[in-house]
Amino acid sequence: MKRTLLIITSIALIFSSCKKEEEKDNTPASVQGCTDPLATNYNPAATINDGSCVYITALTINFTHTVGGVDLTTGAMIYTNAVGENYNIQTLKYLISDITLHSDDGSTILLDDVHFIDISDASTFSFTYDNIANNNYTSISYTMGLDTTKNKNNLYVNENFHATMAWPVPMGGGYHYMKLEGAYINDSTFYNTHTGGTMGGDYSFNNSSSISLNVDDNVENINIVINMEINNWYRTPNTISLAGAIMMDMMKQMQLKQNGMTDVFSVSVNQ
Amino acid sequence: MKKRAYLLLLVVFILSCKKDLPIIEGCTNQNALNYNSSATYNDGSCIFDTCIISYNPTPYTIVSPSSFPTMFIPENNPMTVEGIALGKKLFHDKILSGDGTQSCASCHLQIAGFSDTNRFSKGIDGLFGDRNASTIINAGWNTSNFWDGRAVTLEDQAFDPVVNPIEMNNTWHNVENTLNANATYKYLFKKAFNIDDIDSTHVVMAIAQFERTLISANSRYDKYFRQEVQFTPSELNGYVIFNTEQGDCFHCHSTDMFIDNLFHNNGLDAEPFLDLGLAKVTGLSSDNGKFKTPTLRNIEFSFPYMHDGRFTTLEQVVEHYNSGGHFSSTVDPLMKKLGVGLQLTNQQKQDLVAFLKTLSDTDFITNPDFTP
Repeated sequence: MKRTLLIITSIALIFSSCKKEEEKDNTPASVQGCTDPLATNYNPAATINDGSCVYITALTINFTHTVGGVDLTTGAMIYTNAVGENYNIQTLKYLISDITLHSDDGSTILLDDVHFIDISDASTFSFTYDNIANNNYTSISYTMGLDTTKNKNNLYVNENFHATMAWPVPMGGGYHYMKLEGAYINDSTFYNTHTGGTMGGDYSFNNSSSISLNVDDNVENINIVINMEINNWYRTPNTISLAGAIMMDMMKQMQLKQNGMTDVFSVSVNQ
Repeated sequence: MKKRAYLLLLVVFILSCKKDLPIIEGCTNQNALNYNSSATYNDGSCIFDTCIISYNPTPYTIVSPSSFPTMFIPENNPMTVEGIALGKKLFHDKILSGDGTQSCASCHLQIAGFSDTNRFSKGIDGLFGDRNASTIINAGWNTSNFWDGRAVTLEDQAFDPVVNPIEMNNTWHNVENTLNANATYKYLFKKAFNIDDIDSTHVVMAIAQFERTLISANSRYDKYFRQEVQFTPSELNGYVIFNTEQGDCFHCHSTDMFIDNLFHNNGLDAEPFLDLGLAKVTGLSSDNGKFKTPTLRNIEFSFPYMHDGRFTTLEQVVEHYNSGGHFSSTVDPLMKKLGVGLQLTNQQKQDLVAFLKTLSDTDFITNPDFTP
């Protein structure tokens, strides 16, 4: 009895395993193609990725902020500037405009006309340009603030930064380029590093950074980081104190511009 | 012959009498949905069933004054002439309050920029709040409402006072029942929103539509920039003080809206705060004592000032900033002369007040479109 059972079981097992092999034989031959649903030539029938995937390249620009090389922490009185003043940072809002990618064939892509960054709103720390053409990109340029063609009263009346960045007409009109605010020396003494087109002057500046960025069909995502090193606003070549009202101070605005051009911003690419 | 002449005279007399009586055509049946109490002649238009009222609202377009942003209108509450008229009626109707003694307008007086000249408003049960009633001036551009910003839209805002125990102390259930028993409202809601049963959602939608029409942009300030009037030397001085770091008013009272749609602690008090303001909504201690920037338009009429109405005159407000205010852990870094103050001369303080009064828009506070 036991033996009969064993034989039947063995036969059943053999048959079932045979069946499996038959099934395998019935499956269609493997299909080569692009298996990534994110690619433009995604083939749902493909079973083997043959490396043919073609991607639309998305470029994300990230804005980061450091003080003395360390990521910014708002509110804490832990920073010291070149003058030796202790300070904290409570507010940081600024406008970066004409963010442009340059290729070695001379063509350009305007990534964003004006971008508003507010340290209290993480959604402003990046933006994505969805479709970067294949090319060999060699530099990225951007303007800190708004140049004279953009720095006009009420020009951005429907933008979310209009009210908080407006620069009154009696001081030249247009918009603040930057509002950097906090306490210094002690908790109850405040500084406002507000830059803008004082009395109609242009204290914006355009920076260009060399990059090595070859975009082809295989590149899906690129990140470019534009970092602001906040301590450097006050350091080189001009040592600037946090004291005083500066919105009407053309000398201070010029010095901040010079410092800004020197080493406040740095660019890195992650491909 | 004489008799006929008398008869003729009589006819002429009657005719002339009739001429003197204005004939207002409309529905004279009190039980009808569209009963018109001032109608003298029944024109056969009476409607007794909402189902047969035609819904054909007239779209209304808000025209933003130049230098104002485009007003955001919620997609689900487009402006219509019928909606605005209904909102105006509701805003002024005491039917919304628990005992029928108060309307929105009881504490939001047009002559005061739709705020209350009392420091704290008195609710239907004689209870008082602890904040001064907000103005409703260009409120369609607000990105949040109430001093602590607890309502985002004007629709959200209008839900609050009706059921607030220290204000109208009603229930929405009761409001809906009362309105649904009212033939006129049944008719007006059908015309404005195509609904047969009135609900709270459509009550606040109508009120919000009316509030979006409360636009003030015809003050001396506006006329100056339209080059229709000249500022006096004092007003001009005040304008410059306001818009430079000398007075530093513009950072919060920004642009031609005179708001920044943000919250600040302007150094009114040392800690602990009697009123936590924004922190009551966010629960963040970093928001303690912060309040929404109010518009300065019609500020001359909207006394008393600050969230708690502590100042009765503009001179007192200017003096607060002139003496510098008090330190607290959340005081705004824009208060950069804290404890020291602006140190304006008496003349400069007068100039600043003179400028603030250029924001008075008498057309706004007397506009008949806003009254029932």
